[in-house]
Amino acid sequence: MPALLEIRGLSAGLQGRRAITQVISQIDLDVQAGEILGVVGESGCGKSTLATAIMRLLVPPQVLQSGSIRLRLAAGETVDLLAISESELRALRWRHLSYIPQGSMNSLNPVLRVGRQMMDTLIQHGLTSGEARARAIEALELVNLERKLLDSYPHELSGGMRQRVIIAAAVSMRPALIVADELTTALDVVTQRQILQELAAIRDELGATILLITHDMGVVAQIADRVAVMYAGKIAELGSVHGIFEAPRHPYSQGLIGSIPRASGQRVEGLPGEAPSPWNYPAGCRFHPRCPKVFDLCREHAPELMRQDSGRWAACHLYDDEVAAHA
Amino acid sequence: MPDLLAVENLRQIFGGRNRTYAVDDVSFRIPAEPRIVSLVGESGSGKSTIARIILGLLRPTAGTVLYDGVDIFRPDRSWNRRFRSEVQAVFQDPYSVYNPVYKAERVLKLVIRKFGLAKTKAEARERMEAALRAVDLQPDEVLDRHPHQLSGGQRQRLMLARVYLMRPRLIVADEPVSMIDAGMRASFLNILGDFRDNHGISTLFITHDLSTAMYLGGEIIVLYQGRIMETGATHSVMSAPMHPYAQLLIDSIPTPDPRRRWEEDLSSAPLSEIGGATVASAPNRDHCLFADRCPQVMEKCWAARPVLRAPAARAADAAHRDVACYLYD
Repeated sequence: MPALLEIRGLSAGLQGRRAITQVISQIDLDVQAGEILGVVGESGCGKSTLATAIMRLLVPPQVLQSGSIRLRLAAGETVDLLAISESELRALRWRHLSYIPQGSMNSLNPVLRVGRQMMDTLIQHGLTSGEARARAIEALELVNLERKLLDSYPHELSGGMRQRVIIAAAVSMRPALIVADELTTALDVVTQRQILQELAAIRDELGATILLITHDMGVVAQIADRVAVMYAGKIAELGSVHGIFEAPRHPYSQGLIGSIPRASGQRVEGLPGEAPSPWNYPAGCRFHPRCPKVFDLCREHAPELMRQDSGRWAACHLYDDEVAAHA
Repeated sequence: MPDLLAVENLRQIFGGRNRTYAVDDVSFRIPAEPRIVSLVGESGSGKSTIARIILGLLRPTAGTVLYDGVDIFRPDRSWNRRFRSEVQAVFQDPYSVYNPVYKAERVLKLVIRKFGLAKTKAEARERMEAALRAVDLQPDEVLDRHPHQLSGGQRQRLMLARVYLMRPRLIVADEPVSMIDAGMRASFLNILGDFRDNHGISTLFITHDLSTAMYLGGEIIVLYQGRIMETGATHSVMSAPMHPYAQLLIDSIPTPDPRRRWEEDLSSAPLSEIGGATVASAPNRDHCLFADRCPQVMEKCWAARPVLRAPAARAADAAHRDVACYLYD
């Protein structure tokens, strides 16, 4: 089955006075219909830049450098989100893909009632006010909120409820793809759990596909089907959630998973060194200065993201032989 | 020997008409021997307010804080100076505590000068380097840099180096790792363990993140709406919580292991917490505050506030535990 979203050669950077500093480099990623794909990495690894590039919401000095992002529509045809016009894209947003940016629970307009804010978007997309109201109520129910909330103002709601309103708005047009950036970061663990489980239920009910961007390995382990680990603007490893957590291949994934504080008594060590910023990405493999398994080739040549075995991809020279053997 | 810290019947009420009970009759103690005590709770549970009171930054509405047996709000100036050097704070944001125009070195130099920790320049340098090594930083990597040239993890460890220079007896750390990357958290937490084991420094660790509390070990205090729900040895509370709130909280930690996913689905559970967890201003607080969310609620839970005490039926060899719940009367 072809992927719902096919990202190829996606690069984006920051426009400086003389040159562009590349932030994400040559990202290739397929998002399968109906899956929850977690994109994880430390701060500054480019995961939010990837999300905004997919939504074509990069703002200066961010610039798109190259790539294509093909979204499969219901009729079986595909569109390149990066090649179509702004008005064509506007028609796709909310209906086919919607975006929940980081911190969006604080983006509700404080002087408008929740219902008005949810319905405005729907009316913009051609629904009558009655239809919009019905859709808004239906969407609120998906996230366990009562319809009387339509008449509330944002300040009357708790953080968890505001985040639910945002999710409801994002799914109210029943989009095929939802891109959610740090959805539950500011919430306490019980609310986080409820919201993540609601998100999984929405996936089951609407058949939506979810790209979940987070720094929290626990969140990914709990609800993702597959995981993409990003490091310094590239995908280091991609695979099933069980594969990545139980047998990570890339030394960075190994370090990241190994450094998670677990039960007391088991001392774990942090990753040595610091992640590079886009202004000083190292040559060769960008992880090589921190890698415990570095060898000469790593310093000179950047490894490609290569298929390992069933559904696992890694960008690491350690597995070059295996890849050659498979070929 | 008096306890290092004894918090007794602490109460902090904010506001006039809509009174908010940020801290509602909280008592706990940290003994004289070095310990790590974690104070955990959701936002609005009162944990940061307790930290501010213990640091002497906020006068409580009622109750006392004894440090080494002395009330911290009724001391003289020389005692105050001692308290200020023996109790050190580490805050959440590793970015905002530094003056951006000065090099990292100054943070340490100021302390050495202010508290007369070294007689000569060479001795000062030696002290600084020893402090940096104690927190796993290379002196030449940080001393000559400005704060913006350091990562969050380095900045937060530099704060620990500063604290180390003072040789305090107690560190009050309020969400110190929530802004540093996952890969760096473990090394910060390891340092607190080293401080306890090798330098006799206790830590009161305030966090909403139960997994870091679990990693630190020691003792844990679980707060809810300004009250202590359960307290005991961290590993014992985390592995077998008794209070229904502690059970819900601990069960909801997103464990970084896909083989151990949440069992119970809360996605269609009624949102009875609506406005609940963070609003502590209900007029009548003479009951268990978790009663409205509790799956095992009984009639008497609504009748009076449960007392925090050792559960009735408990094996003699079990680790010490206190629970504020009628289930264990």
